[in-house]
Amino acid sequence: MSFTAIRGLIAAGLVGVVAVAANAQDYSFENPECIAPANPGGGWDFTCRQVGKSLQDLGLIDQTMQVVNLAGGGGGVAFAEVVNKRGDDNDLIVAASSATATRLAQGAYPGNTMDQVRWLASIGADYGVIAVASDSEIDTLPQLLDQIKSDPTTISIAGGSAVGGWDHLKVLIAANTYGIEDVRSVKYIAFDGGGEAVTQLLAGSVQAFTGDISEAKGFVDSGDIKVIAVLSPERLGGEFSDFPTAREQGIDAIGANWRGFYAPGGMSDDAYDAWVAKIADLYASDEWKAVMDANGLAPLDLQGAEFQQFVAESVAKIQDISREIGIIK
Amino acid sequence: MSDRIFGLFGVFLAIGFAVSALTIEESFLSDAVGPKAFPLIVATILGLSSAVIALRPDPEPAWPALGRLVEIVAAVVVMILYAELLPVAGFVTATAFAAGYLAWRLGSGPVEAALTGVGTSVGIYVIFHLVLGLSLARGPWGF
Amino acid sequence: METLASLGDGFAIALTWQNLLLAFLGCFLGTVMGALPGLGPSNGVAILIPLAFTLGLGATPSLILLTSVYYGAMYGGRISSILLNIPGDEPAMMTCLDGHPMAKKGMAGEALSLSGIASFVGAFFATWGLILLAPQLVKIALLFGPAEYFALFALAFMTLGGVSSTNQAKSAFAAALGLGLATIGVDTQTGVPRFTFGEVHLYDGLDFLVAIVGLFALSEVFIFLEHRHGGSETEGRKLEIGRLYPPLSMIKSCIPTMLRTSFLGFLAGVLPGAGASLGSFISYSMEKRLVDKEGTFGTGDPRGVAAPEAGNNAAAGGALVPMLALGVPGSGTTAVLLAVLLALNITPGPLLFTQNPDVVWGLIAALFIANFMLLAMNIPMVGLFTRVLMIPSRVLMPIVAMVSFVGIYGISGSSFDLLVMIGFGVMGWALRKLDVPLVPIILGTLLGNAMENNLRRAITIDNGNWWTLVDSPLAIGLWTIALIGFVLPLIVGRRVKARMHKRRDEEGAISD
Repeated sequence: MSFTAIRGLIAAGLVGVVAVAANAQDYSFENPECIAPANPGGGWDFTCRQVGKSLQDLGLIDQTMQVVNLAGGGGGVAFAEVVNKRGDDNDLIVAASSATATRLAQGAYPGNTMDQVRWLASIGADYGVIAVASDSEIDTLPQLLDQIKSDPTTISIAGGSAVGGWDHLKVLIAANTYGIEDVRSVKYIAFDGGGEAVTQLLAGSVQAFTGDISEAKGFVDSGDIKVIAVLSPERLGGEFSDFPTAREQGIDAIGANWRGFYAPGGMSDDAYDAWVAKIADLYASDEWKAVMDANGLAPLDLQGAEFQQFVAESVAKIQDISREIGIIK
Repeated sequence: MSDRIFGLFGVFLAIGFAVSALTIEESFLSDAVGPKAFPLIVATILGLSSAVIALRPDPEPAWPALGRLVEIVAAVVVMILYAELLPVAGFVTATAFAAGYLAWRLGSGPVEAALTGVGTSVGIYVIFHLVLGLSLARGPWGF
Repeated sequence: METLASLGDGFAIALTWQNLLLAFLGCFLGTVMGALPGLGPSNGVAILIPLAFTLGLGATPSLILLTSVYYGAMYGGRISSILLNIPGDEPAMMTCLDGHPMAKKGMAGEALSLSGIASFVGAFFATWGLILLAPQLVKIALLFGPAEYFALFALAFMTLGGVSSTNQAKSAFAAALGLGLATIGVDTQTGVPRFTFGEVHLYDGLDFLVAIVGLFALSEVFIFLEHRHGGSETEGRKLEIGRLYPPLSMIKSCIPTMLRTSFLGFLAGVLPGAGASLGSFISYSMEKRLVDKEGTFGTGDPRGVAAPEAGNNAAAGGALVPMLALGVPGSGTTAVLLAVLLALNITPGPLLFTQNPDVVWGLIAALFIANFMLLAMNIPMVGLFTRVLMIPSRVLMPIVAMVSFVGIYGISGSSFDLLVMIGFGVMGWALRKLDVPLVPIILGTLLGNAMENNLRRAITIDNGNWWTLVDSPLAIGLWTIALIGFVLPLIVGRRVKARMHKRRDEEGAISD
């Protein structure tokens, strides 16, 4: 999962490098700082470093954006730090993704909620896929779900996130939509990252794979696995257009892994607007589309209030399904 | 004697670990093994090996005299203060003091200790922050 | 033939002044970062990524820089292991066992040179293995499902018997302690927090770097504090340096060891989820079982230095196989390298060799170049490294302590981690006093999660059937090696020894 995050964010960074001039900004930052809530090398770290560098290259900020790694608690340590100690810092932004929303929804950041910070903007999304080995008898999503319905013990689904994490929830959303009453009977096996999960699909240890499209791409090209459903509203562009969506197979399930930023809850409106505008400038460019096509990254162009709304909705949706499967009470 | 106390401590640690493992709240959504089994296996090995250590102790190790023990405790206190004050005082200041203290306690004279402290702190700051670009605690003066 | 032609193309790409300079820079920085406790290869590579992007390097030059850092760190880790008894990174842990005793005997220079040569041999064969066998090796990786991984980790723990302590109960205690520490944090299989006491800092579990730096580096500082009896004895550390380069006979006697462990380490590296630490560990314990007839391992046996170093460098090369061919990181460092590849718009995986041959072969050529460069850099610098021993401990130890702190703080930015590290330091000091080996603790924290998760995956996949653990020929084979090779000798060995004791007693009684 983290690799896809990295990919998206690097893509964002590259876009930033190639994008040209920027709008004049009234607000200037003295010490722009980005907290990566993980160790160097992870997805959030790349978000900060690449976006920071691109903002500077574009002249959107004057100084180097300092990147601070504040690892722990799957982002919870950084969240608590921002809420408790840096609540009115106008120069600070923090990298976030669907994983942040999932943990907030499930109360995995003890005592913290999404309302305690201001959500800035997204910089892209990666849609989920469900895949099987190419020699599998299963060809469509309904076939897979039918088999789970009749005998759930015969199908193990591998994914790169923990149980209750985003890769798991995507399958459950699909299963739930299809009418599988007890989604807890769906056998999900958590691996350390999507790559390891795909490998176990190839090794024959498991029967299906759930993950992001970028994790599956290389193995689809080589003919080792076949994608039976993309969890996007409509077919993706470019070389991904062959993959059927879940929706066109009669299962209205959508799962997007977004990435973006949040800012301290006490940030002034001027500073907030300036950050939103800068990231919007970063996002907008023709080269961006080329990068997204190459990476299977879908557009998710949400800023300011729209993004705030979007995060609130996804938190609510994740809460519903988590409650239903008993991860939270 | 040390090994007997240590073994006994290990047995209690194992019991505590096992009890704590049993209280892990399982979610509705569990795999076939569950989150408790592995810690319980580990607790069993921990308890058994501790019992063997207590029953068949090795020769007594040479424990330091009380004065030396106080020395170690003092160093631990300084390190804890260092960890806590790092974000407040900034990296260079805190490190200079901590390194200077350790140098002094390891037998440097006051001047040499001060030089070691400042030298270590500035040297690390240059290599880790300025060259490698790691973010170190900033403190009130920006370093 | 085609392979050699491709390799030739690769050298054509790698042998430009810019790339050679980058390789040199990477080797140097990697060696330094490997040697500093707290900054291992994975953090070293991660730290330099911004540099690669700032310089605006293309895909191949970036990879050349970063893999040189990777190989360099594998060389560098041994330096502090041998000189200070503090592993510079986790795979170098095993090098402490015989490397530091050698240094104490006044053979620091020889240990450093020999380990440098062993590193070279390991990396050299691993790079050839990567070239010639990558496609076939991928199939080996695919033989390993969760049950087989569990058996492999169990094998690693069973070889612990006799690696670093005479008291088996204490080894077992240390391993269980490490495994127990690994269970702290959110359980990835069910998402429930375990042993976190509501402390959000513990949700991600304990970072093994924090454990390793605390246990080895800080406890060393405490030991020095303990042994300082007034000003006059502060120079107690002064060690003889002796000759810098080992005699040819010593190198010769280590050649079979290096070859065997290169092979073993490479295999361990190829398996994703095993990695360099397991490579150096298994290399050491297997070699000890095989050649240590006189019981000299652990007291400064040159073969005990050559084995883990050849093993971990071979594993470093091996770990590139699943990364390039499957897109699966076999270790923490390859995970970071993989992220870089993705960032450069290169998708590792089955088609990488056909789609981006310039990248792959340029990278492989760079590995060869970096390896020769590292040998050329490390051997002449042995004299310089050994100078470290001449720094009085009252100056050296504060520096070691502070570098440890900054290594951890600079990466995680968390005071909490520093407190945990101090806790580990005190624990390490007490355990050293009690003669409890520290290596099994680290091995436990390193492998604990993977071991538990694979156990649970295997059993969940088979719907709760525990017999699945011995259901494949490979798993049965691994269990057999573990039982016959390592557990049985412990039991039988003890009985034989007891019988010999008894006989001697009886003879004694008769002769009286």
